[in-house]
Amino acid sequence: MKYRAKVTGPSGERSVEVEVQLDPTGVVVSLDGRPARWDIVSTPGGGFSVLRADGRQAEAVPHPAGNGTVRVRVGAERVTLELLDELTARAQAVAGKGAYRGSGDVKAAIPGRVLRILVNPGDTVLQGQPVVVLEAMKMENDVRSPRDGIIRSVEVAAGQAVGAGQVLLHLEPAG
Amino acid sequence: MTDRLLIANRGEIAVRIARACRDLGISPVAVFSDADRASLHVRLSDHAIGIGPAPARESYLLPEKLIDAAKRTGARLVHPGFGFLAENAAFARAVRDAGLVWVGPDPESIDAMGSKTESRARMKAAGVPIVPGMTTPAKDPEEIAAFGREHGFPLLLKASAGGGGKGMRIVRAEEEVPAAFARARSEAVSFFADDAVYCELYVEKPRHVEVQVLGDRTGRVVSLGERECSLQRRHQKVLEECPSPAVSPELRARMEEAAVAAARSVDYVSAGTVEFLLASDGRFFFLEMNTRIQVEHPVTEMVYGVDLVAEMIRIALGGPISFDRRPEPRGHAVECRIYAEDPSNGFAPSPGTIHRLRWPLGPGIRVDSGVEEGDTIPLDYDPMVAKLVAFGSDRAEALRRMRRALRETRVDGIDTSIPFFLALLEDPDVLSGNVSTQFLEGWTYPGDPAPTDDAAELALVAAAVASARESLSVRGSSQPRPPSAWRTARPTFGHRE
Repeated sequence: MKYRAKVTGPSGERSVEVEVQLDPTGVVVSLDGRPARWDIVSTPGGGFSVLRADGRQAEAVPHPAGNGTVRVRVGAERVTLELLDELTARAQAVAGKGAYRGSGDVKAAIPGRVLRILVNPGDTVLQGQPVVVLEAMKMENDVRSPRDGIIRSVEVAAGQAVGAGQVLLHLEPAG
Repeated sequence: MTDRLLIANRGEIAVRIARACRDLGISPVAVFSDADRASLHVRLSDHAIGIGPAPARESYLLPEKLIDAAKRTGARLVHPGFGFLAENAAFARAVRDAGLVWVGPDPESIDAMGSKTESRARMKAAGVPIVPGMTTPAKDPEEIAAFGREHGFPLLLKASAGGGGKGMRIVRAEEEVPAAFARARSEAVSFFADDAVYCELYVEKPRHVEVQVLGDRTGRVVSLGERECSLQRRHQKVLEECPSPAVSPELRARMEEAAVAAARSVDYVSAGTVEFLLASDGRFFFLEMNTRIQVEHPVTEMVYGVDLVAEMIRIALGGPISFDRRPEPRGHAVECRIYAEDPSNGFAPSPGTIHRLRWPLGPGIRVDSGVEEGDTIPLDYDPMVAKLVAFGSDRAEALRRMRRALRETRVDGIDTSIPFFLALLEDPDVLSGNVSTQFLEGWTYPGDPAPTDDAAELALVAAAVASARESLSVRGSSQPRPPSAWRTARPTFGHRE
């Protein structure tokens, strides 16, 4: 499998080409064309003990977070990286980033109860503007508009319980 | 028959109380809402009664359901824990009226300390220091100036009819009094249509220091040192320690004496906490008394070698405090409250299922938690996942062990405040104990530290191998497979598609 990855280290963001070869004897990972053998063993809960040839070890637990973003816990550190398989990476390069922006829905990222709806259909909103207030875990949380646009419809009512990912509002791109 | 104790609570404190019950040979009885049917506190109990839907007001806050559960299971005692009905005098009375034993102070003590004005008046009468303030409006600036000369500056000028911070002015020196008085008066008129103004001492950058007390039916009240709880976020304590790095033995003796006097003035029985504001000049003032076991009680237990919850139960059963000579404090303990929230995303709540959980172990570490691996943090209740407590022979060792414990802990599936604590424990003022209750208002989480090149490489290799294995096994198997995280990706806390 071939991937294109973006990682941010102390020296800033860099792109890396990654190739993974799995065979019964182990794992060979090539980073930017330099192959090396890695000793990688699964640990409980979807993690790995990752052992590099020079003896450096860490327990790493990758969590895919959608859109090619992967959040990895490495020891006590948290690393966020972008990992796209070669086909997707190429498709994205052809289509341009805009194609991956998704629809204009505003969704609940966490389950909760709708406390207040701050906008009405027809309202113009700016990216980052709070549009709904959700109550979860005894706290009020602003749901913000993902981009500039016009509210097309409101899909929930105050007091309603909503699940993670549930559509709260439909948003039309501005202009 | 073995005594049974009903735990009128859930989560971490319910587990804590169940443990004290076992230590005393008492059988713990759990109650649970629909969201908690299989929670750890239920699994650790011998009996469990469902008391209704997830919202607390339909379950954990209903006295009649709790008392009914006690009767159905033959429980003789009721321990309220903290939060919910713990400081509800009516519930304490209802428990007693039902012929059950209330594990806590008398309802009269709860009432006396529950009212701000009554407790203040009682403390004044008992000689416990309260923040000095005028009890009647000031007639003229000279009255304010005289108050300042007697009690010191800065002062806080307040509108008698005020509230919400409106019409308040800080006066730092006597020569500022005339102008400030005139301004405060005209503000009071325009905000509240009432020109009455009074003043009190303004305690600048105070510490929150509280004293643990324990009283029994023989009339004995003992103090067990103080806890430093100045590190608070949104008025919630986040890190507590025992002893306070700001309290000398001489100051400790005076604070303990005041706390015992406060407890005696309301005939206090059971475990309780007297909270003080500690000014930088060493003066301290009564804030309030918490008539219950407190979240941060473990740091006192570590340093004084006392099981406070077990003491509460023994005392409720009519027994005396278990020790004749008050134990001497030993070493230092620190507690971090781990919440299900993401510090790198504005501390947004992060409910969900814990896929992987490793608690820290080893010398000096204690973990009080209500969850295990595979459990879900529901969104209906307080988002505290655990209290990590580290003990050391001195403060430096306790802090080193706390850092080790935080790094050793693994909670996967939800975000926690652990990165926040790791950053906080790098701050020189936190490390030297130079903090006040305002400290965290001026401190922002610096964000997750940039990963080292090593960590970034290991992360990348792990992510690529995980993804490659996933696609291989999808291709190589015709069996239906459980949903994989690599396909049904958990959404991040953002609002993009």
